Amino acid sequence: MDPAPTISTQGLTRRFGDLLAVDGVDLRVAPGQFFGFLGPNGAGKSTTIKMLTGLLAPSSGRIEILGIDLNAHPVEVKRQIGVVPEGMALFGRLTGAEFLSFAGRMYGLDRTTAAQRAAELLDFMQLADQPKKLVTDYSHGMQKKLALAAAVIHGPKVLFLDEPFEGVDAIAAGTLKSMLQGMIARGATIFLTSHVLEIVERLCSHVAIIHQGRLVAQGSLEELRAGVQAQTPAGSDDDGVSGENLTLEQLFLRIVGGERRNEQELSWLG
Amino acid sequence: MTSALHRRSQLTAIAELRWRMFVNGLRSKRGKMELVSRIIVTAAFALGGLGSFALASGLSWFFVSQDKAELLPLLLWPIFFFWQVFPVMATAFTNNPDSGELLRFPLSYRSYFLIRLAYGFFDPASALGCVGLLGILLGVSFARPSLFPWTLLVLSTFALFNLVLMQTVFAWLERWLAQRRTREIMGVLFILVMLSFQLIGPMMQRVERKPHPEFSRATQIVTQVQAVLPAGLAAGAIAQTSRAEFLSGFASLLFLGTMTLAVGSLLHLRLRAQFRGENLSEAAARPVVAQVQGLQVGWDLPGFSQSVAAVFEKEVRYLARSGPMLLTLVMPIFMLVIFRFGPMNPTRPTNALSRTPDMAFPGAAAYALLVLTNLVFNSFGGDSAGVQFFYASPVRFRQIMLGKNLTHASILVANTALAWIAVSYLYGTPHLTVSVATVAGLLFAAPLNFTAGNLLSIYSPRKRDFATFGRQNVSQTTVLASLGVQIVIIGIGAAAFAIARLYNNLWIATVLFLVLAAISIPIYLVMLRRIDGIAIQRRETLLAELCRA
Repeated sequence: MDPAPTISTQGLTRRFGDLLAVDGVDLRVAPGQFFGFLGPNGAGKSTTIKMLTGLLAPSSGRIEILGIDLNAHPVEVKRQIGVVPEGMALFGRLTGAEFLSFAGRMYGLDRTTAAQRAAELLDFMQLADQPKKLVTDYSHGMQKKLALAAAVIHGPKVLFLDEPFEGVDAIAAGTLKSMLQGMIARGATIFLTSHVLEIVERLCSHVAIIHQGRLVAQGSLEELRAGVQAQTPAGSDDDGVSGENLTLEQLFLRIVGGERRNEQELSWLG
Repeated sequence: MTSALHRRSQLTAIAELRWRMFVNGLRSKRGKMELVSRIIVTAAFALGGLGSFALASGLSWFFVSQDKAELLPLLLWPIFFFWQVFPVMATAFTNNPDSGELLRFPLSYRSYFLIRLAYGFFDPASALGCVGLLGILLGVSFARPSLFPWTLLVLSTFALFNLVLMQTVFAWLERWLAQRRTREIMGVLFILVMLSFQLIGPMMQRVERKPHPEFSRATQIVTQVQAVLPAGLAAGAIAQTSRAEFLSGFASLLFLGTMTLAVGSLLHLRLRAQFRGENLSEAAARPVVAQVQGLQVGWDLPGFSQSVAAVFEKEVRYLARSGPMLLTLVMPIFMLVIFRFGPMNPTRPTNALSRTPDMAFPGAAAYALLVLTNLVFNSFGGDSAGVQFFYASPVRFRQIMLGKNLTHASILVANTALAWIAVSYLYGTPHLTVSVATVAGLLFAAPLNFTAGNLLSIYSPRKRDFATFGRQNVSQTTVLASLGVQIVIIGIGAAAFAIARLYNNLWIATVLFLVLAAISIPIYLVMLRRIDGIAIQRRETLLAELCRA
């Protein structure tokens, strides 16, 4: 029997006027999974993650995090999750230490614990050498690391990351990855969206793909490959790669059905 | 496409962009509310414009028809000062998109220069300044029709000078305000300049008290100096021509034109640098020096939860790092000093404070409440994208609001205490009844202000930069609503004091204020409890407004 899911949604829907941004999404993320949520631009990834973290109200549907109904008990859910949203949610005119200490206390840590964890996190993220520097003066990569530090300061059981590697250099990305893998090793569940499919392929054990607001695939990479193989008639692989050897990028393109445009179009270009 | 056609097409596209931005802004309810508020503000401006038009045309007609055209500087200088000072002061009424954004397009330098000037032309100060000049043109032409073409030429040059100067000032201010540190220094300097205007009154009194010959010598010098400055030159060009001194009139206009070109070349220097891709980013290369700092434990606020204390600490740290904000908050004390030595000197028998010296403390306390408006009515403005953190954290909005309101209340208490000390020192210790009535008045007024401020902070938020002084993007709805709340509060306060004076017993004011406080405090608490629901209901608008780049 499957364990109770850490994240589950039923018929999750969000409309913006006439636009159906997320259309009846049923997600299931098991405990301890490193879950990648993929989709083309405008597919509904950010809208979904915002709904899962309480930053946006669903038009209809149900969200449960750790078995708790998000709509009925938002504060209880938020206490157990960490979030790095799209805009990073930083307070620019605090120093890194002040911000982390503030974040810790907002998540219910006492003053001393918050300060101790803030110092440890700054040290781990290699942000401790300029304690007087304001967050607004941090580089983009430093801000990403700080946002992640703030999201984990209270030791969340579930972590939601919206494009955590966007604009981050290889060194900072390495630090972030090692921290996330450490969390997974200790039993946390991580839900991330990213456009960098190589990173998702390397980090995530499970993947879901959303396209035009609908969930079109969900499962482990092996399950997704098997699904694609089953649906592809023998000898019709247009890229000459059989199902079990597909990379995530190839899987993604096959599932989403990325249309290749004729190179003769836009002939006026260069 | 020829370059002229290309330029015209680009300028049309920019005009269409502005129009679409305006129309698209009306799609939301908030956009429509903003439009209504803007119409009210514009109507107020139009009234002011009509008044200045009537005054300028009447007076200029009188001066020229009475052969007193040398008095025209009295009209042109106020227009000049208004045109240049108002845009810096009236942050609420300007909302130009950053023209630098347009530089990514293949825009010629000439088009870029023209666009910058055009943006300036649509500024309310320019519009009102032009209306004033039109009034002068009308008055002069009615008094002496033959002067119409010449006056038109002179006043057009003067208008162009003002337009170019305004844009030059802003272009250079942008340069100096591009970095946080210089921005804060500029903010402090700006406030000091503004305050120095307040000292003109006391200085004039000192001059008035001096012997007559000395005063007239000073007036003579001022008259001579102003004659070679823009407004004086424009007025001189008209006055000299009206006296048939054509050569002098032409020389004055030529000098004014030269000044316009000189200021224009300063603008050109700045805009050229922008056009060439000048980068004024904050991230100046600094040597990385490893520093070690001990464990920083957050503040404790006895009687309040960790989250309320954390928000309080964050708010205080934000304010402490904002030079412009700090200076705004100490203004009540500074104003007391100004009033003491200025036109409201209590030793002078003709002013209000000499008749009611006890009103200095309530007045200062009311002003302390007034300067808080900036913070209270847009309390998430400085948080920008940080507001997402509040929504993602497991803290109820009422606690966040309480933390913010505690900061506001602390500032109010500190300012009121300082005001009491300053009043005691400058005007004499306020009577016990006045002090108690004032504190009771604040007990009524502060919760009311905080309630309205909390609601407007959620309903009509605007992103703001605590490090920048002036030209902040302020919601018109908030401006009007906060004005309304202040008028009601000050009106009630004045009425309570008036009733107490009528019965010659200031304790009546205290009782009245306590009764009102017994109403306003529960209202505050009830609204604070409801703020969670309102914040959740309004989260999309709040996040969209504050998190956008």
